[in-house]
Amino acid sequence: MISGQVVLLISLLYIALLFVVAFYADRQRKRGKSVLSNPHVYSLALAIYCTSWTFYGSVGRAATSGLEFLPIYLGPTLMAFTWWFVLRKMVRISKEQNIVSIADFISSRYDRSALLGAIVTLFSMFGIMPYIALQLKAVASTLDILSNPLALPPKGLGALVSQLPPEVDTAFIVTLVLGLFGMLFGARHLDSSERHEGLVAAVALESLIKLIAFLAIGIFVTYGLFDGFLDIFHRFFAQFPERHDLFQLGTERTPYTKWFSLIFLSMMAIMFLPRQFHIMVTEIADESQIKKAMWGFPAYMFLLNLFVIPIALGGLILNGGDTSQADFFVLTLPLSTGHPWLALLVFLGGLSASAGMVMVSSVTISTMIHNHLVMPLILRLNIHLQDFSGILINLKRLGIIGVVFLGYFYFKIIGDSYALVNMGLISFMAATQFAPAVIGGLYWKRANRRAATTGLILGFALWFYTLLIPSFVRSGWLDISILHDGLYGIELLKPLELFGLRGFDMFSHSLFWSLLFNISAYLTISFFSRPSDSEALQAEKFVDVLRADKAVSGKLKRISKAPTIMEFVDLMSKFIGEKQANTAITGFLENREINARGGLADHEIPNLKAFTERTLAGYVGAAPARIILENYLSTRGSRMEDVFDIFGSVTISHAASREQLSVLYDAAQIVASGADLQKTLDEILSLLSAQFKFDLCVIRFLEEESMTLVVKSQQGMSSVHFGQSERNLNMDTYIGQAFLSNVTAVVNDTDFLDKPASAEIILREGITCFAHTPIILEGEPVGVLSAFSRSVKGIFTNEFVALFENLAGQIALAWRNDEQLQGLLEVHEQEREMQIAKNIQSSLLPAELPEMEEISVAGLCVPAHQIGGDYFDYLPRDGSCFDLIIADVSGHNIGSALIMAETRTFIHARADSLRQPSDMLHSLNRFFFDNMDCSDLFVTMFYVQYCPDKRTLSYSSAGHNHPLLWREKEQKVDPLDAEGLIFGIKPDVAFEQNSTPLGKGDILLLYTDGIIEAEDSSGEFFGMERLGKLLQEAGNLTSQEIIERIMNQVRIFTGLRHFKDDITLVVMKVLK
Amino acid sequence: MKDRQGDSTKEAWILCLILGVILINFPFIHIFNNQKMIFGIPPLVLYFYIGWPASIGVTWLFVRQMNRESRYRDDETME
Repeated sequence: MISGQVVLLISLLYIALLFVVAFYADRQRKRGKSVLSNPHVYSLALAIYCTSWTFYGSVGRAATSGLEFLPIYLGPTLMAFTWWFVLRKMVRISKEQNIVSIADFISSRYDRSALLGAIVTLFSMFGIMPYIALQLKAVASTLDILSNPLALPPKGLGALVSQLPPEVDTAFIVTLVLGLFGMLFGARHLDSSERHEGLVAAVALESLIKLIAFLAIGIFVTYGLFDGFLDIFHRFFAQFPERHDLFQLGTERTPYTKWFSLIFLSMMAIMFLPRQFHIMVTEIADESQIKKAMWGFPAYMFLLNLFVIPIALGGLILNGGDTSQADFFVLTLPLSTGHPWLALLVFLGGLSASAGMVMVSSVTISTMIHNHLVMPLILRLNIHLQDFSGILINLKRLGIIGVVFLGYFYFKIIGDSYALVNMGLISFMAATQFAPAVIGGLYWKRANRRAATTGLILGFALWFYTLLIPSFVRSGWLDISILHDGLYGIELLKPLELFGLRGFDMFSHSLFWSLLFNISAYLTISFFSRPSDSEALQAEKFVDVLRADKAVSGKLKRISKAPTIMEFVDLMSKFIGEKQANTAITGFLENREINARGGLADHEIPNLKAFTERTLAGYVGAAPARIILENYLSTRGSRMEDVFDIFGSVTISHAASREQLSVLYDAAQIVASGADLQKTLDEILSLLSAQFKFDLCVIRFLEEESMTLVVKSQQGMSSVHFGQSERNLNMDTYIGQAFLSNVTAVVNDTDFLDKPASAEIILREGITCFAHTPIILEGEPVGVLSAFSRSVKGIFTNEFVALFENLAGQIALAWRNDEQLQGLLEVHEQEREMQIAKNIQSSLLPAELPEMEEISVAGLCVPAHQIGGDYFDYLPRDGSCFDLIIADVSGHNIGSALIMAETRTFIHARADSLRQPSDMLHSLNRFFFDNMDCSDLFVTMFYVQYCPDKRTLSYSSAGHNHPLLWREKEQKVDPLDAEGLIFGIKPDVAFEQNSTPLGKGDILLLYTDGIIEAEDSSGEFFGMERLGKLLQEAGNLTSQEIIERIMNQVRIFTGLRHFKDDITLVVMKVLK
Repeated sequence: MKDRQGDSTKEAWILCLILGVILINFPFIHIFNNQKMIFGIPPLVLYFYIGWPASIGVTWLFVRQMNRESRYRDDETME
């Protein structure tokens, strides 16, 4: 007899030991020595399958129902045989996609559907509740039995600690302890894809204790209380000859259907119970561990079951055939025979079985709740926080406690009235509902989101109705009439005899109906609907995960306005904390191409996006991760773009044959090579006709002026009527129809033509089938791709048409690329020409102005654009005389520049014969009037001649602004004026010539209207006055300095660096 | 050559899986479903408790064979 305190103390010590082991495992991991790399640890951890249901329940079942306990282990043994194919595939996928739970797995496979993740999570929660309740019940009952074996009813732990209120029963304390335990192990870090080494190590140790305890009690009973197996059987049959049916099947208690159902259920449960998935897939260290587990795990189960029958029979013999306490024979047998310490060991085994299951399940379910219910909610509500990571981990901890307590409440409300075994099978049945979606998703690309969602919902509805409702009825929650009369008294709706199906046990019955609905919906909807492109891509990633030559699909994407690396890191930090984000990104960048500016190469950005998504998925689940990233990118205005259309429409790539794919791929290569359009088109056509043996392939593009389709490229037979002819656009021809309606026109058999206009030519040429598909750019047709065959009918299957359309899409791209290229070339060419013009023009202005003793001259011409219409010149004459010319041609374009050049040529050519300013202007006017149509261009000019020895300035004007003259002696500014009209208006214009003497210090300023008409922000002109004032103050500056000063002042005045109009200044200062 | 060996392992595998399904289900187990005792033990119990470890042994043999094959091949994919 052991006191309750001792039991409690030892239990707590045991839990402490588990904690130490877990802690040690985590430490080892940090040192890089993972305990999980030992494959036997993996096998042992998998034995979490064997819960207290097995530990206590197997004996109970063997005693009451005989061999019925076996299928629960035979099923998984059979399933383990397939692991190298099925499980390995699941593991590979999960590692690649950072999948952390079964909800994540299903959601990821079906287009990362958030809804599907939530559904699986909710169902798992419901499904797991009875199972957790079962564990709590087992621990609580055994604790009571152990501490008060003789007290009936058991007093419970509450009696031990009298201060506690009466509601706090043993189960409550057990719940609390297990919940805390799960919290400590399962949610120390947030990243659930990071393996919980500590948790797994603890579970493995628990499995070992389970086995040792059970083997100990088995050996004790078989060889201690009895004389071996044979002795037990012998004595049992001697005592209870009528119980021979325990070892028979096909009996009323265990019909073969039930046997089969149990095997099937347990096969599915071992794969799809959330906690199994977690240990098997998420926590695995290395694929090769699967191999050892394939025989290791079944061997464990075999050993665990080796003594079930002897213990059960022994218990029956010693208890006089009473089965009421059969579930606890393993405890009562050693207790009643005076071996309390053995009973304590068994209790610890049972505790291990329960604790392991509760811990892992709660962690798993809490992760699922966190990833598939909480995160989407947070995202949906648009809660903005600087740093989520702290809150998320606490939510997860709360989730773990929450899940354990859900089990507790289930136990309090329903559990007491129901046998252990039924509760376990209810959970198994729930897990079985995941099977179609997962297995179908692994092997069938066509399976899609809608199908999986509907299948799951139907399956669970049936599960609820045929299993949970009866269990509610039995615990008194619901009126029993629903079992007898059906829902609303409808006989067909009896939960246990649905649609009149009777004669089956409730599990076979439920299995049949739930899976029938589940699978039918799944298959039918998958069959009649197509997956979206992104879903098809996911499907491919799942189904083909083990294929060595995985398709290159989806790699040809790029992100427009891509975020920088730091922005991705910031985004991650928000959800997973800064440190983890930095660690993650460092790992990613380690082996990436970094370009010269220290950024990622363009083609790496999508990888970085995928990496960010995967990393986030490890913390928050696949569906939320996708939503986070997409929201983020869309708010930035970034989006994923197809680089080439080639695998953009995945519908083709997964339906099409290898040959077709290779054509698409080659075509993409041709387009990408960027050869000239004609060559690209020719090559695509020859590819098409060579691969598929067409007699003629034609590409036509629309010529907008004539609205006809003009042949751009042709491959195959040359017929005047066919390839080379243009096509008018109307609905009477197939090609016109294809173009105008923007839909591919296919005729698979030319014996059936409905367009007489086309029929004549087609039949004459012996065409048997053909198709026209529009070449579409941004939704608008720009041309038509056509293919004709003379030999075969029916080439154009749906798949082939898809390929054909895809090729047309690629041609459209090539066409667009070419257009853009041409446009760029044109712009480039123009710019080059302008540059040449600019160079020429600036070379026309005098490169250097003379520095003489008597005077200094400086000039500047600033065109508003590359070229302008302003002009100034310096022309030496006989002796020391020289001419200064300033002219302004309206406009700043090529025309202005040409006239300016013309003017200069004229002046230089005629300078010798025309010696006076007025003569020069007169001749120029004549020249402009005769030779140029100056209707839209005007030329003004001011012509100055200065002879230093005479100190006389002669000048004439052709409608030009009045130059300013600073007279040093009189200290005033005089505008110079002379009568004269703008050039080219009238044939004969009299140009007045004036002259004025200049003295030392006088300054002449010639300018164009660009200066005085320079505007400030309020629209005010710079004006003559300001210019005059500047000149007034410039007495002691050189000519060059005066120009600079004027330019500076004008710039300050306008506030602009560049001018709207050309500006030209010439300054002449008299030095002596 | 080696690939063919891998394929035949896979075929044998599937065969064994099917056999396994048959061996633990009706009607095959019906053979042992009687009240005659063999060495004082019900035949079904004897059948399962011998067949079960035997099946584990078969799995073990397969895994060993697979390991041998993978030693010859870099790529372990069998699909």
